[in-house]
Amino acid sequence: MTLLDTSKPGSPEPWGTPLLDVDNLHVEFRTRDGIARAVNGVSYSLREGETLAVLGESGSGKSVTAQAIMGILDTPPGYVTQGAVRFRGEDLLAMSESQRRGYRGTNIAMIFQDALSSLNPVFSVGWQIAEMFRVHKGMGKKAAMAKAVELMELVNIPAARERVRDYPHQFSGGMRQRIMIAMAIALDPDVLIADEPTTALDVTVQAQIMQLLKELQRERNMGLILITHDLGVVADVADRIAVMYAGRIVESADVHDIYARPAHPYTEGLLASIPRVDMKGQELSAIKGLPPNLMSVPPGCPFNPRCPYVQDICREKEPQPPYQVDASHTSACHFWKEVRDGSFR
Amino acid sequence: MGPSAESVLEVRDLVKHFPLTQGIVFQRQVGAVKAVDGVSFDLHKGETLGVVGESGCGKSTLAKLLMVLERPTAGQVKFKGQDIYSLKGKAFKAMRRNIQIVFQDPYSSLNPRMTVGDIVGEPFDIHPEVAPRKDRRRKVQELLEVVGLSPEHINRYPHQFSGGQRQRIGIARGLALRPEVIICDEPVSALDVSVQAQVINLFESLQSEFDLSYMFIAHDLSVVRHISDRVAVMYLGKIVEIGDESQIYGAPSHPYTQALLSAVPIPDPAQRASKAQIVLQGDVPSPANPPSGCRFRTRCWKVQDICSSEEPLLTIRPGISHPSACHFAEQTQIVETLTPEDVALPPAAATQDGLTQDLA
Repeated sequence: MTLLDTSKPGSPEPWGTPLLDVDNLHVEFRTRDGIARAVNGVSYSLREGETLAVLGESGSGKSVTAQAIMGILDTPPGYVTQGAVRFRGEDLLAMSESQRRGYRGTNIAMIFQDALSSLNPVFSVGWQIAEMFRVHKGMGKKAAMAKAVELMELVNIPAARERVRDYPHQFSGGMRQRIMIAMAIALDPDVLIADEPTTALDVTVQAQIMQLLKELQRERNMGLILITHDLGVVADVADRIAVMYAGRIVESADVHDIYARPAHPYTEGLLASIPRVDMKGQELSAIKGLPPNLMSVPPGCPFNPRCPYVQDICREKEPQPPYQVDASHTSACHFWKEVRDGSFR
Repeated sequence: MGPSAESVLEVRDLVKHFPLTQGIVFQRQVGAVKAVDGVSFDLHKGETLGVVGESGCGKSTLAKLLMVLERPTAGQVKFKGQDIYSLKGKAFKAMRRNIQIVFQDPYSSLNPRMTVGDIVGEPFDIHPEVAPRKDRRRKVQELLEVVGLSPEHINRYPHQFSGGQRQRIGIARGLALRPEVIICDEPVSALDVSVQAQVINLFESLQSEFDLSYMFIAHDLSVVRHISDRVAVMYLGKIVEIGDESQIYGAPSHPYTQALLSAVPIPDPAQRASKAQIVLQGDVPSPANPPSGCRFRTRCWKVQDICSSEEPLLTIRPGISHPSACHFAEQTQIVETLTPEDVALPPAAATQDGLTQDLA
């Protein structure tokens, strides 16, 4: 693991342009009941071979950001209202749909949480993997099928040659997720977005899948965006972490730094509220209250109604853009210094 | 919880097979899914027994059997000495009052057309002797308060509540009849991390307040460790290891328990390098056709000839402090047990119990 400094949007990069650069992205959902601002100025960037974990609870906007990057946002009701997503310097959001299609799968690929509903039940898995080669590379059926077998072997599906003609329902949850991974890496993408890849799986299978993802990433030097709510998985694999809350990145830092010395009360609260398998008798201090409704986010800092350290300024002024804690650590808290030192406790 | 502790539930050789049939008019049985296959344990008064295992290992079927929502193929369960499957009529109804359940999914386990008051008060309709009719509304409001909901919310509908609050409604319903045993079937796995801690804390405070015994079913080993006094590990319909929380987590002896524990990610990147991970190969075999002998042998790294011919019994083996079902059981430390002082965890908001405070 190398320590990589974070790239604040706009600041000059120490080496080259990043692989993927999300800059001030805003997404809103226009519904009958009003406008839900799901993503409010999210910026992050990813380098080759790096694993960025996007951590957040349901409704924090982590998956919507990924959908906007992939260009698979449901429009309507979802609209990107502001911002840019640059892949090697080229703005994906400014492209035509047909141009974008060329990037999808070949440059940026995605794995979803629920492998069963992401696979088509009426085609064999081999056919679906081979589709990547037929559509994007114009390969013949036979050659594409042979490639599909190769990929299934690569993701450690036993008896791949026999099982290539099986249908999704004939596979277990872990095997289905492997098939999704095979499809995602088929065209050797530079960026892989994994949206809760192990949430639906048992813990022993989760370990298998995470190991497979790590190996593939190392072999191919892919940039990996891991979207999850599991603080354990993140600690195991991530290089950098971005914590999301109410559609904003509230803290981003190197993984070791953030677990040891969080500089945002939400991150701190999350870490204190999870039971750990290597600990007994620790008191769970829950974060009080609930995440805000995205249609009526409170003024000031969106975390202020739940924050144990809330001050008057937090109700008035939103801490955006985030404060720079150090070169690789940002926090969207007016009192990041006190939180980090622990002088509030 | 010493050995002298009084048993509330005694489960002996409980078996539940679901028949697999073929044919449409003339159905014949071609096999059986052995969901629960010979499970025995005791649940003591006031304790929490955690049951862990992967999906398909029979945890939820076990819960249904204890609730008498399913009748077993064989075996018996005694509640305070009475066999619950032989009871009939009034005695059966009276017994059922004492074993209640909290379900996993707070979205589908509450009727969307009923108000919170009706949901929590429904147990009183079935057991009117617990609360006279005119007393019910007050009782329901009391219950809502106990689980940290506002009593004024009695006329609201489930969709007006968040996931964590709905789970509290489910808990209030489970508490309504003042049961002695509550079976919690994955009660926190559908909740977000920050809300999960609130509900776990609620379970703990209710236990000491009402002297409840919990059977806490979950697949999350960290949650189970936090809340349980004793833990049973299930694999393919059988208990493979059972013991105190410190025995199971500190000195697991069955290879499956060891693999399970090593697979749990620890939320501390500093331990990344030091942690050896046992990654099991393959998936859980089908419970319709379990392997001969030891059921874990197809995924086990210690497998020998004896494992396929002879089924290991769940007994205390030499050198091991608690029952384990492995021919080659060996106590090994997989996760180091730390104390909160070892880890500089920020005691954020430690003063908040999160109990009454998630009212919007």
